[in-house]
Amino acid sequence: MKRGIYRLKGAKKDKKEPGESLGERLARLFEIPGDVYGNRPKVTAIGRGEVLVENFRGIMDFQNGIIRINTNNGIIKVTGDDLTIREITNEEIIIGGKISNIDYDA
Amino acid sequence: MFLVHLWNYIRGYVIIIVTGKSVERFINICSKRQILLWDIVRVDAESATMKASLRGFRLMRPAAKKSGCRVHIKEKCGLPFFLYRFKRRKGFKLGLLIFAALLILSASIIWDIEIIGCKPEMIPQVMNVLNVDNIGRGSFKMRLNPKNIATKLALNIDGIAWAGVEIKGVKLFITIKDSIDAPVLIKNNESFNIVAERDGLIKSMEIYAGNPLAKEGETVKKGQVLVSGRLESKNPEFGSRDIHALGKIIARTWYENSQPVSMVHTKRLKTGEIHETVYLRFLDSRLKISGGDVPYEMFETVTVEKPITGPFGLKLPVGLTVEKNSEIIEKQVDLTLEEALAVTTETIKNDLMKMLPKDCRIVDEIVKQYNGDNDKVYIQVVFECEEDIAGLVPVLQ
Repeated sequence: MKRGIYRLKGAKKDKKEPGESLGERLARLFEIPGDVYGNRPKVTAIGRGEVLVENFRGIMDFQNGIIRINTNNGIIKVTGDDLTIREITNEEIIIGGKISNIDYDA
Repeated sequence: MFLVHLWNYIRGYVIIIVTGKSVERFINICSKRQILLWDIVRVDAESATMKASLRGFRLMRPAAKKSGCRVHIKEKCGLPFFLYRFKRRKGFKLGLLIFAALLILSASIIWDIEIIGCKPEMIPQVMNVLNVDNIGRGSFKMRLNPKNIATKLALNIDGIAWAGVEIKGVKLFITIKDSIDAPVLIKNNESFNIVAERDGLIKSMEIYAGNPLAKEGETVKKGQVLVSGRLESKNPEFGSRDIHALGKIIARTWYENSQPVSMVHTKRLKTGEIHETVYLRFLDSRLKISGGDVPYEMFETVTVEKPITGPFGLKLPVGLTVEKNSEIIEKQVDLTLEEALAVTTETIKNDLMKMLPKDCRIVDEIVKQYNGDNDKVYIQVVFECEEDIAGLVPVLQ
């Protein structure tokens, strides 16, 4: 029994994303979309002038041409011209301006 | 987005400049503490401007301390700051109050009355009923009970089948349905004769029931029986039967009047002097603006209403009333014979016209001139008319 459980855990560990919790695994089991449950970031780009990032941890860098956002999945770097933070709350951040790149793990 | 802006404007917000080495840290702490920030713009390497709600600004101090940033208010925006300016202006507040009071007052009174669906002759009667209860322009809507008014109208005015009263906004709508006149009932169980109502020459007779006693072309006197309601049977043993005689008797009648001709005539002449009085009218009351008392002994008044028309053709109860008083003098004028005759004839005709019954048709008019006993010239005017002279009188038993 004990070995069996160990093996199961080990087998799962290879597949799952880094930092995946029990709750997230359950969510995946019941096919609940990742943005509904869990703290993985959701990035929505509307046109070219607005990027919405949900589930972020905080901003790391804020310049006119670059904004770096810390999330559970690493850092999201948004580059562009005249970037502003349209709105920032605990859960989401809206970035405005002329956006040229959205990079991960910069 | 517009709603969010509006909400922020109503609640009030501040534009602040945050200066320090780590503005990002400041923003992070703020967002963790549920302080909403928006429109964050980097100014230079050490400062950024942003907007924050008033509540947020108050909670910001620990965040600023932790991140080592300094926060300065650049601008205060929104309704609370706008209103703050008026806090000390008592006149403004008073004006605001008066405005609100006037608005409420003007919305709670009747500004106009519309009467729909009845003959124009009936409108004064309707207004009379309303006047008894002091309902009119300017009365309060709260005091009016449409059902009661409708009942009163229906009860007090003859010839109304139904009345409806409705208050729509500041207008009072009165809808009236005329009733159809009841047909004239002929009392068949009573017996009547047709007699002449006035002297005349019978032109034509149209008899529906009864025994004619006069013929066409006959001259009849007032009160003479024209159609008898008593039918005698040929055989006297059977006696007679009384019925209701019916018929139209069209006859020629004459109306005559004569007056002496006066050579002197009082004429009313306008001197050309005009005095104007201007009133400001509000509802049914008016206020004199200019022009004092009229300085003339005799004058003729022409009133000109100048209403102010609002949008959508709405007649506002405010307007100007201008009274033009033109001076008049009476002058004794000597007339030539011809003029005098014409003037006298005209007056006689006018007098006669008033004497004529309603359903009378003038066929001919004769103007005669004769000398009276006291050296005066008289004029006689005769109107020859055609009319129905049938009148009903009960048959004597």
